[in-house]
Parts: sequence; structure tokens; C-alpha cells
Amino acid sequence: MADNKLLMTEADAKQYIVVKIGNEQYGIDISYIDNIVRMQKITRVPKAQSYFKGIINLRGEVVPVMTIRVRMGLDMDEFTNDTRIIILKMEEHGKLGVIVDQVKEVVTLTPNEIDPYIPDTRDEKSAFIKGIGKHSDQLISLLELNSIIEDKEAI
Amino acid sequence: MDVSQYLEIFIDETSEHIQSLNDCIMNLEQEPDNKDTINEIFRAAHSLKGMAGTMGFKRMQHLTHDMENVFSEVRNDKVKVNGEMIDVLFQCLDAIEGYLETIKSTSDEGTEEHEDIITKLNEMLNGGGAAAPAEAPKAEAPAEAPKAAAYEEKFLDAEFNDSDKQAVKDKEKEGLKIYGVTVYVDQKCLLKSARAFLVFKAIEEIGSIVYYNPSSQDIEDEKFDFDFNIIVATDHSLEDVLNAAKGVLEIENAVGREISSAELENEAGNDVAAPAEVTEETKNVPQVKTQAASTGNKAPANKQAVTSRTVRVDIEKLDTLMNQVSELIIAKNSLVSISSAEGAGGQSASFTEQIEYLERITTMLHESVMKARMVPIESVVNKFPRMIRDLSKTLNKKMELVMSGEDTELDRTVVDQIGDPLQHLLRNSADHGLESDELRIKRGKPEVGKIFLNAYQEGNNVVIEVGDDGNGIDTQQVKQKAIERGLVSADQAETLSQKEIIDFLFMPGFSMAKKVSDISGRGVGLDVVKSNIEALGGDVEVKSNLGEGSKFIVRLPLTLAIIQALMVEIEDEKYAIALGSIQNIEDIPASDVKYVQAKEVITLRGSVIPLIRLDKMLDVERKDPEAEEKKTNLTVVIVKKGDNFAGLVVDRLMGQQEIVIKSLGKYINNNKMISGATILGDGEVALILDANTLI
Repeated sequence: MADNKLLMTEADAKQYIVVKIGNEQYGIDISYIDNIVRMQKITRVPKAQSYFKGIINLRGEVVPVMTIRVRMGLDMDEFTNDTRIIILKMEEHGKLGVIVDQVKEVVTLTPNEIDPYIPDTRDEKSAFIKGIGKHSDQLISLLELNSIIEDKEAI
Repeated sequence: MDVSQYLEIFIDETSEHIQSLNDCIMNLEQEPDNKDTINEIFRAAHSLKGMAGTMGFKRMQHLTHDMENVFSEVRNDKVKVNGEMIDVLFQCLDAIEGYLETIKSTSDEGTEEHEDIITKLNEMLNGGGAAAPAEAPKAEAPAEAPKAAAYEEKFLDAEFNDSDKQAVKDKEKEGLKIYGVTVYVDQKCLLKSARAFLVFKAIEEIGSIVYYNPSSQDIEDEKFDFDFNIIVATDHSLEDVLNAAKGVLEIENAVGREISSAELENEAGNDVAAPAEVTEETKNVPQVKTQAASTGNKAPANKQAVTSRTVRVDIEKLDTLMNQVSELIIAKNSLVSISSAEGAGGQSASFTEQIEYLERITTMLHESVMKARMVPIESVVNKFPRMIRDLSKTLNKKMELVMSGEDTELDRTVVDQIGDPLQHLLRNSADHGLESDELRIKRGKPEVGKIFLNAYQEGNNVVIEVGDDGNGIDTQQVKQKAIERGLVSADQAETLSQKEIIDFLFMPGFSMAKKVSDISGRGVGLDVVKSNIEALGGDVEVKSNLGEGSKFIVRLPLTLAIIQALMVEIEDEKYAIALGSIQNIEDIPASDVKYVQAKEVITLRGSVIPLIRLDKMLDVERKDPEAEEKKTNLTVVIVKKGDNFAGLVVDRLMGQQEIVIKSLGKYINNNKMISGATILGDGEVALILDANTLI
């Protein structure tokens, strides 16, 4: 019986990549991640949404890059040696890069290690989080990627 | 054996037949007595029926069978062609096309019976005289009879080995009759092995086949001419066996007789019979040839020789090829940039030479791939004469469509998507453009309205003009409508140019039709046409003279993926401008800039050209704004769109380059100024400016 329960939770466990944005830690579902690349030259796209930093050349493919800091209302990114672009592969829309301050580790979280997060409907940005994961003694906000790429600025 | 492998051929052939039927019936409407056309239609209908039958599409076969019957009667002068009949025939064609569409998507013909059309077809037959459908095949029979003389029994020509002989003997012992049969397949038949298969199936229902010549494997692989031989063991009569074979479509004839195993034994050593057969054979050869020639004359659709030179390729494979060529060009560009960056020092002349050679080859390769993707617009415009004919009936206006340049070639992707916009423009011309017959007569114009579609290549573009000799666009009315809808104030409207007024027609929801009809007037029209064409990288322009007609000019790029572009720099950002839209490049003293309505302009060889400061347009951050102000000379790239010009102010010119267009993806709000991005030789990404939207 106990074994069974353990098996079930293991099957439901998901891996997350833990990244640092500002002072907080966020988790990104590993199944969405295509690639992680170092910071490189980003070509600015005029008149694009403010949180789009521009586009990069990912081995011959043009990929738009979003600065998640601006998306979340933080200050502009400061690029350091730790800065990385996480390339997400969303099914319908193709690839998208997200700039993070640092990539820390990969963790495995089972559903009972995740607390649900009730979004504040008045705040668009709170919809970006789908839950809080607890790993050792750290808290990891799990990102809801679909609402992040959903475009509220679009006309 | 499974027929599904023929499905693709079937679909292609059927669409060709439908198109040729469409054309022929249009002809027939003009010249109801043209025998050639009638024969052609009969043949196409017959082949359609045959193909549908082979593939097991019973409903389609039924419909085409009845259609064929009608033509058989027409051919025999028993029924006269009339307008009503043409209408029914067109309905019939639409129905067949419907079947084909269903087959395309589901591999099955669906369940629609089209009883009404079949009834109408049969009514036509009965109304046209006592000729019942059943008589039709009979009428053909005498014509075929004399040919039968040419069919000889070849089944004994073959070599028999011992096991074959033994098999025949065994069957004989069982008390079965042994027949040798030679089956002749129609020389026009495309799926010979399928026919043979059906013959075997039919015969095996009443007996068993003990011997095949050529072998059954060869027959299945179509390794035989137009006849094959079998030896059948059965307790049925010879008549039954032959009829079973002849019952299959496109089987010209089957001949045979009863044989004994002894005959097979003798065959090998039969010296007497052999020469006789040989002479017969030689006699027969010219006969067969003349026959082939005569069928060749009768059927211009003898396409075998032509098709053998072409290969049908999946468009996806071409796309992959095109992508790889694009990658190659990017790689080549980076080589070029490395070689020029390292300068003249240290490089041997042969290295530069090889780089130039590589450049030439990649350009040629690109051109070839592009050409492989090009198809004539014919496939799209072919359906328009029929459409105009139908519109003429529904709108009750007399009109004709004149087309030219159907052989103009465009990229496959463009051709696939250009159909709808063109169709819309034609409908527009038919509905709004042309006046009613009475009004035309009153105005002293020919009663039959003329709609034209001209296509031709112009530089790197293909131009398709669609227009009519109707009323033209009444700009006063359009202006009125725009004011009514609150798009402009009455005062503003007065200052608008004719072109600006016509542009209102391209606004979403703007319709000039006084009443909504099936054909147009819902206000979802020209704006969709415009956006469709712009999505393909093209543009639309309108020319109109009140009372004389209007003309829509659609300009499309020859290819979508790779273009020649001028690279320019603004501060440290690089942009590409398509070479096709650049008129010339000028160096202009800052003092030459004049102002008209507070907008910067320059005069160049007598014409006033508005200046566009790209740095402001693109929000480029200036490191040193003051130095910018003090510049004494401006580099201006003059771009044109139709008859309009604009001068784009840039900082530096970087030269011409072949660039591969890549999409920005769906995330970034696509501001229309940027039509895409490209990867430069050094791996950097540059944006492509769409000069058309800047003007």
C-alpha cells in the first residue's frame, strides 16, 4: 500500500529548472525547455511590446527574446556572466527565449510538495505563478508559462 | 492487390478530366454542334467512368455513366444540346468535383447520391427521343466489331514448362474444360495491371486460372503490352469466360477457344503452325500500329510521352530543399564576410576566386530550386471562365472574360493562395463594375461587358491585372459613404485625392453595394483581398475612370524566401531593404530639405519626394544627437511603390546582399514596418524593412 502510494507520486513528479530572477527563485517545467544558451547579441525590434528585448539567432533560427523582469514589473536586466537565455518551446507558437539572471539547478517536485497558489485577480502578474514548490528549505515559485506568453499589451 | 496505391493518380487524372470537361462544355455552349468537342467530352466522361469504376467508387461511376449516356446520344445526333442541358451538365460536374473532394479528404466517395441530377440526366435522354440508356452500348458495338479481326489468339505462343502442362492435364482429368484466352486491354488504359486484376477476379469466379503469360507477377508490375494470355480450367462455357473478361471496363476484347493438354505438348515441337503464326503476326503489326495512330488522333489526351518527363514531387520536399539552400546561402555569406574581414593580406588569389565561384554556384542553385517551385497560374485561373459564366446567369448581365498570360509562373505557395483574392476581384467586377445590359446599350457600350485578367512578369514581380470596362468607381459616392460612416469629415473629404478616396474601399466593413447579394456586398471583401495579398508580400493598386471601367493591379513577388537586398545602417543597427523596391540612392545636402505642411521633402529631378527619417521612425537611440543635427549631407534611399516615392534617410550604406527571409514569429507584435528578419554572415540578426508600408 505504502509502496503503491510512493509509485504514484513518483509518476506524477515533475522536473523543474530553478532560475533566479531578481531575489526570487522560480521554477520552469523542464518539458517546455528546448535549450539554455548564454547571453548573446540581441537585435532590437522597433515598436514591439516593451518586454520583448528583441530577436536572436539560434543556430540559423530567428527566436524572439523576452525579458521576464520587465514582464513582471522589475527593473531592466543587468547582464552578468550568469545571465542566460532559456529557450522555451511552446507547441503552437514556436520558440521563445526568456532572459533569467541565473540558472541554479534541476529539482524534482511531487504534487504534495507543491502548494497551490491563489492568484489575485486584480493583479495580472500574479497569474504568472501556478504554485509554490518546497524543496529542502527553499521556496520556488512555479511559472505558468501560458499566461506569461499571453499578450495583454497586444491591441 | 490493392487499388489504394492508384488513388493519387486517380485524383490527379480526375481533376484533369473535370477541368477539360469544364472547358469543353463551355465551348459546347458557344458551338452546340461542334463534333470534336462532343467527342472530346464523351471520351473524358468515359474515362472518368472507367476510373471511378476501377477504384470502386460506385456512386461516382453511376453519375458519370449517366452523363456519358447523354453524350453518347448527343454524338449520335439523337439529342440536341440546349441551354438547360448545359446547366445540368455543369451541376453534374460540380457533383463529380464534390465526390473528388470527399475522396481527397477521406479516400472514400461519401454517400451523396445526387439522385436529382441523375433523374434530370435521364429525363434528357428520354425527352430527346426513344433512345434508352441501354441502347448506348449497343450503338458502340458495331463500330468495334470490325476491329475484332485484329485480335488473334496468342495463348499458344508461350513456352510451357512441365509443371504447367501437368497442371493442365490434372484439370482435364477432373473433367473440366480448358480454354486458352487472350485478353486485349484498351490502349488508352492507364491502370493496365488493375484491369488485368479485375479480369482475373471475374474469371476466377467461374473457374480457375492455371497459367498466366506473362507471369502474374509481371502483370501486376505492368510488365506487359496491351494483351495477356491465360489458360482457364472451368465447367462453364467459353462464352461465359470471354464475357467475364469483356465485362471489365477498358478491356477491348477477349478471344479464346477450347484447347487440350495435347496441344500444349505439341506446341513446342510444332513446326508447321509456328511459321503460319509468325506471318500472321507480321501482318498484324502494321494493323496494330495504325490503330494506335488513329486512337492517337482521336485522343489528344495521349499524355504518356509528356508525363514521363515530369516527376510529381511533394511540396514539402521542395520546401526542405529550399530551406537547405537558404542555410547554404547563409553559410556562404559568412564565408564571404570572413574573407573580406581578413583583408587582402595573407589570402591567396585562388581563395578569393573559389569564394566567387561558390557565390555563383549558390546563386544558380537558388534559382534552380526556385524554378522547381514555380507553377503557371493557369491551374488557378482555369476555373474562372466557368465562374464568370455562372455569374452572368445569376446576375442576368451579359459578360465575357478575356484572359492573357495564363502561363505566367509564380511560386507554388503564392499560386495556392492567390485564387481567392483573384476570384473576389472578378466577382467584384462582375457585380459592381459592369452595368446592366440596358444601361450599357444606353451608354453606347457593347452590350456584352468585358472582364479581363492579364498576368505578366515585371522584374522580380508578377503583375496580375483584373478589371472591367464597366462603370468605374464613383469617387463621389465613395466619399459620401465615408462621410456617412464618420471616417472623414465633410471638409476633410474635399481635400482628399482620388487615390485616398479609393483607399476607403479597402477598409474593413466598407461596402458600396446598395444591396447585399450572394456575390458581394457584405463588406468583407476588398480588405480581405488586400490583407491576403500583403501577407504574400505583394500589394494592390486601383486605377479607375468613371464611366470607362476600373482596374485592380496586383503585384506579387516571384519568390518568398530569398531576396536581393540593400543593407543599411542606422547608428549601429542594421536593416535590409528589398532591392526590388529601391529606385535609386542619393546624397543630398541637408540644406536642400524643404518643408511642405511641416513635413520634410526633397525635390529630385522635378518631383517632390517626402523624406522619412528612419531613426525617428524606428525609435533608434542616438548616442550623439547634436552631431546628428549638424550633419551636412544626408544619404537618402529612394523607394517606390507603384507610382509613389519616398526618401529614406539612413546613416550608412553597407552594400547589396542576398538575404534569406525569416519570420519574426508570432510572439512579437508585428508592426508592419518590419516584414521579417534575416541572419547575416557574421551570425547577427538584421531586420527587413518593408518599404511599401513606409510610404
